[in-house]
Amino acid sequence: MRALGPGSVSSFLKIILDVVYYALWIGLGALGVVTVLAVLLTFNPALLENVDVKVIVVDGVDLARPWPLLTGGLAAAGLYIGGVLLIVRALRRIFATLTAGDPFHPDNVRRLRVIGLILAGLELGRYLFWMISASMPAVKEVDSDFNLTAWFSVLVVFVLAEVFREGARLRREAELTI
Amino acid sequence: MPIRLRLDRVLLERRMSLTELADRVGVTIANLSILKTGKARAVRFSTLAALCRELDCQPGDLLVYEPGADEPPDEDG
Repeated sequence: MRALGPGSVSSFLKIILDVVYYALWIGLGALGVVTVLAVLLTFNPALLENVDVKVIVVDGVDLARPWPLLTGGLAAAGLYIGGVLLIVRALRRIFATLTAGDPFHPDNVRRLRVIGLILAGLELGRYLFWMISASMPAVKEVDSDFNLTAWFSVLVVFVLAEVFREGARLRREAELTI
Repeated sequence: MPIRLRLDRVLLERRMSLTELADRVGVTIANLSILKTGKARAVRFSTLAALCRELDCQPGDLLVYEPGADEPPDEDG
């Protein structure tokens, strides 16, 4: 089975990425709606008067107003999904060039760098989320871990971007060799 | 690129059009234009041989070296 071109593994992966991309959009939309509802409840908890959710107990600590915390969590989740969405979008475009049989398209260099930056941003965001979570009164323990694999992936993506840059340069050389 | 192809001059001397040369050599007009305008990075020996054959000239008649801004001057002198 061929790796590049129409009807290849790349085109199959492109279809999977398309499905994931649109699923992420739906998920982000749903999360947005829930976040808006949580924001509304933050400022006006009386909107859910009939529902007894005003007191939530987390690890023995009563949270009289859970909505601000929930809004923050939802916003963080939204940012995370947004980052993953951008990565998948860049991957879709890269795989579109692979499907077209043109892996060393000059734009792929920028796309790979964007993926690397977003991966690094997501990892840093995770640390920030831990720090904020740890400062919350209701949170007793934060299950934090330093993921070396994530940083290794970031480096690999940046190296791949350089490989693609060299490939794009060689392609340009070949195009201008008459 | 300090190496230039004097295709214009040789074509004028031979009273041949770019289209005719493209047909004879088997290179597209777009690629010949890249050669003519000095945008080419390299010329294959096979292309150069075909150009020399059809224009009845030597490689030295086509190629010229012009030190440009993108190349430092000779420091030996």
